[in-house]
Amino acid sequence: MPYQSSLNDHQFKVNHQRDRKAIENKRTGPIRLNHQKPEHGKKIALIGWNVSSIEAMEKLNRPFVIVSLPGFEDYAKQHNIPFVGWDFDTKLTYKQVYDRSKELYQTLKEFQCDHAIPAFEETVEWAGALNAYFRNDPKIFDHSILFRDKAMMKRRAHIGGLKVGVFEEVDNKEEVRRFFRRVNDMLLRSRDNNHDPIHVKALNKAGAAGHRMIRSEDDIDKKLSEDNFPCLIESHLDGVEISCEAFIFKGEVKFLNITEYVVFGYSMMVPPIPEIEKYRPLVRKEVEKLVDAFDIKYGIIHPEFFIADDEHLYFGEVAYRIPGGHIFELMQKSYNFNPFEAHILCCDPNTEEEELDKIFPDETSAKGYAGSFLVYPKKKYITDVNIPKELEEHPCFEKHTLFQPAVNKVQDLEGYGNHLGTIFFYGDDSEQVHQQLMNYVDHDFYV
Amino acid sequence: MALEVDTSKKAAFEQALEALETAFSYAKNMYQTDVYQTAARIMNEKDGMKFLYKYASRFDEAGIFEGRPWAEPSKLQPRLVKGSLMAGGMTSIVEVLSELRMVAIAKGNHTHEKVSKKDANEFLNKVMALNIDILFPEETEAARIEGKRKEKDRAEHLFQLLADELSLASISGTLIKEIDELVAQRPIMVDRIITMIKNAKQLLNVDINTKEQKAIKQYLDAITGPSRISKELTDLSDYRNKLKELDEKVLKEEAKAFAKSMLKTGLVAPQHVTLVRFLNVNKPKLLTEALGLNKKGEANLEEHFSIVSNLIKVAIHPPMRQSLYGLACMLERGVLSSNPVIPGLQRLIELDLLPEVRKVLLNSIKKGNEGITANDIMLAGVISVFGQPLGVGQGMNPTCQTARGISLWSLHDLGYLLELVARAARDGDIDIMFEGQPIHSMNLRDGLVDNLHEELDPVSLILVPHLDRIYGELVRRAEFRGDDVHKWVNPAFYGDWVSRGFSSTIDPLTGAIADYSGFVRLFYATHHPEYNNGHQIIYPNPVGIFVTDSLADLLGLHAVSIQRVDRDPDGKYRVYFYNPNNDSSQNWGQGIQPAVKGHGEEPGESSLPFHEFVSRLYAFHYNPYEQGDAYAVDNETVQEIEKIARNSWGQKYTWVDL
Repeated sequence: MPYQSSLNDHQFKVNHQRDRKAIENKRTGPIRLNHQKPEHGKKIALIGWNVSSIEAMEKLNRPFVIVSLPGFEDYAKQHNIPFVGWDFDTKLTYKQVYDRSKELYQTLKEFQCDHAIPAFEETVEWAGALNAYFRNDPKIFDHSILFRDKAMMKRRAHIGGLKVGVFEEVDNKEEVRRFFRRVNDMLLRSRDNNHDPIHVKALNKAGAAGHRMIRSEDDIDKKLSEDNFPCLIESHLDGVEISCEAFIFKGEVKFLNITEYVVFGYSMMVPPIPEIEKYRPLVRKEVEKLVDAFDIKYGIIHPEFFIADDEHLYFGEVAYRIPGGHIFELMQKSYNFNPFEAHILCCDPNTEEEELDKIFPDETSAKGYAGSFLVYPKKKYITDVNIPKELEEHPCFEKHTLFQPAVNKVQDLEGYGNHLGTIFFYGDDSEQVHQQLMNYVDHDFYV
Repeated sequence: MALEVDTSKKAAFEQALEALETAFSYAKNMYQTDVYQTAARIMNEKDGMKFLYKYASRFDEAGIFEGRPWAEPSKLQPRLVKGSLMAGGMTSIVEVLSELRMVAIAKGNHTHEKVSKKDANEFLNKVMALNIDILFPEETEAARIEGKRKEKDRAEHLFQLLADELSLASISGTLIKEIDELVAQRPIMVDRIITMIKNAKQLLNVDINTKEQKAIKQYLDAITGPSRISKELTDLSDYRNKLKELDEKVLKEEAKAFAKSMLKTGLVAPQHVTLVRFLNVNKPKLLTEALGLNKKGEANLEEHFSIVSNLIKVAIHPPMRQSLYGLACMLERGVLSSNPVIPGLQRLIELDLLPEVRKVLLNSIKKGNEGITANDIMLAGVISVFGQPLGVGQGMNPTCQTARGISLWSLHDLGYLLELVARAARDGDIDIMFEGQPIHSMNLRDGLVDNLHEELDPVSLILVPHLDRIYGELVRRAEFRGDDVHKWVNPAFYGDWVSRGFSSTIDPLTGAIADYSGFVRLFYATHHPEYNNGHQIIYPNPVGIFVTDSLADLLGLHAVSIQRVDRDPDGKYRVYFYNPNNDSSQNWGQGIQPAVKGHGEEPGESSLPFHEFVSRLYAFHYNPYEQGDAYAVDNETVQEIEKIARNSWGQKYTWVDL
């Protein structure tokens, strides 16, 4: 029946042409937000308790309100910190967060607030929701979720032209197995059991929480349980891992810090060793691409990249908040400026350019190398601190925050968990600092 | 004067201190650690302490101590300083900085609204007096091997500064007063006293007055050898050999010298034991002299000589030498004439002990046990308790009720106490009846104390684990009855001599202070001889008190026993009471400070003027049939007491009038 088929063919062409016409006049791709400025003189709401940021607001003379757990209220009152108590229920869905925020928004409006800045990963969506109400644009909330939902995040990066691994969202072990096979098939690694690992990540947790590496099909059964789902799985990215702290104002990267993850989860250094520092122009280009792809105008982002052997940068993930691991303190030490103040300035669209110019140093001329080593307890019960003499006497040793534990029982940990203390190093010689950051991974600082 | 401190470290400290000074009040915490660490690095340098001291007047203002236990210097305890200094880490560092602040106050370089110059001086004198071993460090190998070198060095540097800035002469007075007051209480456990005396020896090389020198020497002799010959022969076997050569006259001199020292201090020298054991076999007639017995004691010794002689053979050994003092006191009390006592003691000599009891008793003798058995130790312990009922202490344990029980039974029911010891040591069980139901300690798990601190007398070591559990169980059973549990617990626990009448000023349902004036009047009407128709206290009355610190702030509830109410030598009524914590120097604030001597106290008694005691009281038992006229008590007296109460512990409570 040749006639019939040619008619079908024709039909398709007609339809297709119509579809193309229809979208010709429509702008596709990400919707750009209209970043209206908050009103001058209105207050900033910092969502989450962060003393350094509170201090920064006060030093910058920015009127502000802190929104945090009601438990902080007495302390805030005692020290005259403007405060609104709010219970952030971490079990809420994004939609529920949006709905609940309305009440908080109304309270904050009475406090003359016009803008919200998140202090922690878990408050990013709350700040997003509040800003959505402040600007009367729900899409601002959706935009904040880009920084929370790792699958959305990677899609957005991918479409923006960044290199990302292959990934999927999955609901059960079978889907993990299928993905594991497909990835390894594609890499031609299935036949001789020489598998590449894949990574399982929680959809919206900070740092390494919920992270599992799957190296074989056996691992899927051994390392995963129902609690892990739904989650994100992705192919393995190879290379040196770095994080960046990009301070953005009017969509422009004003200052780019590069942090080297010396021993993943344990130690980091600012700036990185020269072998990595030499990639700065490359990193900057990639970060600018990211800023563009995510339509970021104000604030700081904290993306993680892998620098592969072929000198390409692969995108890991990005957060819209102050980074953990004392990175800001390291920056403060090696660049001699206050990143907490810079953060507030960049978040506030009303900041004057001169203010910014004054605060940022030259990102390519750090004074020295600052490193932090996070100390985790290695056992369930701890009674005392054990710091090796040679560590404290090393010329690069700066200080530590290991104290005799007040509570002997260690809390259950997730991911790398909360560290109990930090050791800081600082020196002119990148290699020396670098070496110290690697030396004590196996040492037990608590007995 | 140029101080030898690394300039970069100096600059780092100055910078950190300035950063802290300029920090917002809520952010102090973030900057404190920098100050601590930069200070710590300076402390290790030669002139480090001096350098840091120059800044000490700025510490409070800067907020170095804010949010930490050192924030309020008026609440600091000299006794806890050493522990903090040796704790390591930040604790030690902050402790050092706190002492430097105190020096600044003492020298008038810094003023504090709650701590006067005088207070600071007293505090530091006490700190030094309590830690003479740090002030004059012994350069022994042992001290080095013990570890904590870093902390010890730091503490020594600090004390060097204290010695330079303050006068050493003034601490000897503090130390001697401290020892005097401890000794006056005649505690069974004397480890702490002995350590202090040994430390005081160091002060003999310092410029102190002769009176103090004499006092220190006397105490030193008491523990090392107060008699002519024992002063020369400190080795016990040398001393024993020498005894064989002595004629009766010299032996008598020795005996008298030992006895005199023992009665004066309550401390027993090791050679004293050697002498008594020697006399027991060779010259029993001289035992009266060697024990320093009065007529009553002498009569008791004669009447029960064979059992006493056996007790000396079994229980009086150098490691348990303090029991010699117990034996002397026991004989003077005449307790051997009480029927159950002799058979009860004899039973203990050969009692089969549980392995765990054996172990804990043998562990209580620190140095080599020289063939001493656990039974010997147990018996020595019983002798001490029988001789010094008010010398029983709770040690470092929160078991004041239990100590109070042991003390009470050794005063009034020795047969029962002997029974308890035998039951616990042999059967691992003690049982008592509560409202018709038996309670067995072996079936109970938790008491008040988790891990018994074992610096205790042998009787307490055996009994406290059982009594503590029973006490806990009694409290559990009496809970939720709508009144203070002690109303039922105390008579069941201590025995029927605890009166059934009971009054507490804390309303059990609301936790408020209710009808306080009525409470005060009732106590006067039942305890004050001028209002209670002259009834005397026959058995100790277990009462509850509010313990307050030197600022009169409430620390907690505590159990003591009223032993008697009597006129002191000045004719004023005082409450004489037994405090199981054996801590004489407690200052309860508002000028209320229990005395342990000087106001007619028996050894082991504390005393307070009647109204001051009442102002800290919260619950007591009374005999409803021995009640006098509550209305007769002066309104003014009651109001005065209420004022004291409200301004101290009362601030933590709601007050209601019924």
